[in-house]
Amino acid sequence: MVDAAQIATAERLAERSRRFGPPLLSVDHISLSFGGVKALRDISFDIRQHEIRAIIGPNGAGKTSMLNVINGFYHPQEGTITYKGRERRAMRPHQAAKQGIARTFQNVALFKGMSTLDNIMTGRLLKMRNVRAPETGIVGLDPLLRFGANAIDFALQALYWGPNQKEEARHRAFCEEIIDFLEIQAIRRTPVGKLPYGLQKRVELARALAMEPELLLLDEPMAGMNVEEKEDMCRFVLDVNDEFGTTIALIEHDMGVVMDISDRVVVLDYGRKLADGTPDEVRSDQAVIDAYLGVAH
Amino acid sequence: MAANGSRTLAPRLALWVLLPLGIVAGLGLLLQWMTSQGIGFFDWYFYFEVLITGLLLGVQYSLVALGFVLIFKASGVFNFAQGSMVLFAALTFVGLLENGVHILLALPATLLVMWILAVLVERVVLRRLVNQEQIILFMATIGIFYLLEGGGQLIWGSQVRELNIGLPSGRIELFGGAILVQKFELVTAAIAGILVAVLAIFFNKTRIGRALRAVADDHQAALSVGIPLTSIWVIVWTVAGIVALVAGVTWGTSLGVQPTLALIALKALPVLILGGFTSIPGAIVGGLIIGAGEQVGEVFFGSLVGGAIQDWFAYMLAMVFLLFRPQGLFGERIIERV
Repeated sequence: MVDAAQIATAERLAERSRRFGPPLLSVDHISLSFGGVKALRDISFDIRQHEIRAIIGPNGAGKTSMLNVINGFYHPQEGTITYKGRERRAMRPHQAAKQGIARTFQNVALFKGMSTLDNIMTGRLLKMRNVRAPETGIVGLDPLLRFGANAIDFALQALYWGPNQKEEARHRAFCEEIIDFLEIQAIRRTPVGKLPYGLQKRVELARALAMEPELLLLDEPMAGMNVEEKEDMCRFVLDVNDEFGTTIALIEHDMGVVMDISDRVVVLDYGRKLADGTPDEVRSDQAVIDAYLGVAH
Repeated sequence: MAANGSRTLAPRLALWVLLPLGIVAGLGLLLQWMTSQGIGFFDWYFYFEVLITGLLLGVQYSLVALGFVLIFKASGVFNFAQGSMVLFAALTFVGLLENGVHILLALPATLLVMWILAVLVERVVLRRLVNQEQIILFMATIGIFYLLEGGGQLIWGSQVRELNIGLPSGRIELFGGAILVQKFELVTAAIAGILVAVLAIFFNKTRIGRALRAVADDHQAALSVGIPLTSIWVIVWTVAGIVALVAGVTWGTSLGVQPTLALIALKALPVLILGGFTSIPGAIVGGLIIGAGEQVGEVFFGSLVGGAIQDWFAYMLAMVFLLFRPQGLFGERIIERV
């Protein structure tokens, strides 16, 4: 029986691994410290297209710091980040967003005074622009054209006229699709500050999805949820990955969840990389077991 | 919620129109009755003249309050420096005019200065305080207040100056001279009206407006959806600077440009408490109520209590509001999950 289940899992993984593309993002020899505290030491790993990549480790292992490095909140002292084939020292948060990296936060960062729909619409901000400046490549002319395009765009928005009306409707329709997908129709107009925690997490995921990300970073998406909410969230994560082909990197403490849904797992402890591999490899790794269960001295 | 909103819209509108009219009429009748009892004096024409003067003065309070609302709405920071921005803008404008710069050149030049100021505030102060507690940002704006107040006087001097940019003066007579209204005050009100309309559209209809509201709520989340925090801040402080310039010019025209201009910000505080810190229409309505209230109070009730009602009326009203409706008339409800 056990063998059959293991074989099934192995087959599922093999089937999935056929869909993985080349690495979408790779971090190389990343070191990050805050004063004397070394949060990350010489971390390297990659995330391949379409995979679900888990980052696990005990508290204070540097998991969230790693995500913050990837989307540009932190700038590492050493190492490089290669995203979509471009190598760089560090990202800036809004650049990362523009390049298709979206994320959610451990302690839910939503716009609490706004409705669910408005929150999701902020995820479309980067996509909303109906007048684009042509790229001429002539020095000095481009910024001028960009400024002009912005001004026209701004005027059109202010008048709510012409292409703008259609544009707004299009984005709204997109957000409604996400709302349907995550089954949050009923709370569309509720200010998110009033929502229970589990739903707030779902709205945060919706906002990230509205950005049509290529890489989705989820920081403990299931923390503080009950079993039912966790199951829903797992299903959404898998569906997002399947239907939109979004690459996902997630931090999670629930080992059952991690082993079930992730394709590859990287284990951090005290800022160091302990192990990297499929859930099964990681599960049987002695260093990982020691880190989690402690070791007799 | 939407259905709810439209259902309550009509009665609400009626409330907003009928309630002020009722209060005005009731107060008039009360005064008339008091006069008939031999207390004070009353005349309907005079009453309305005082009321109109008060409302127009209120618009000037609103202009100052508007600057506060903008920055509060877009960064959640109470900008203590708004008053000194008014002074700084007026000083720069008057200083340029006195040095023989034509008004058509001085105006854009002052706007440019306010933009540079916004960039500097963002670069030197705000950028270093991203994701900090709001009290820390507030303390920083106190620093900016003193810097601007001192800096402005250092550059342009601290004597009282006259500002005359050719706004119409003189009076309009209504009802055959029974009610007199200052032309200058009418023009000010018109300018304020236009400004408010433009800002309301800016905040509610444009992409930048939505980004501004997002930044006010949560810095980290705003960054993660790709809103460049730094340029948003520059935009807000520039717009607040423009509003400060308009307020500075109107106040400067009526009071003269002088250092005490920075202190009219204190009069904007009760306006904000009345209207709600996050509401642009609130700033206007709050200003109108306080302007009208203190004029009517001073003229008709002042003699009963020995005068000087004008000095405390606004603050008393604000205190009453803090007790019963702390979010103001139009402010966002304070939502807290326990």
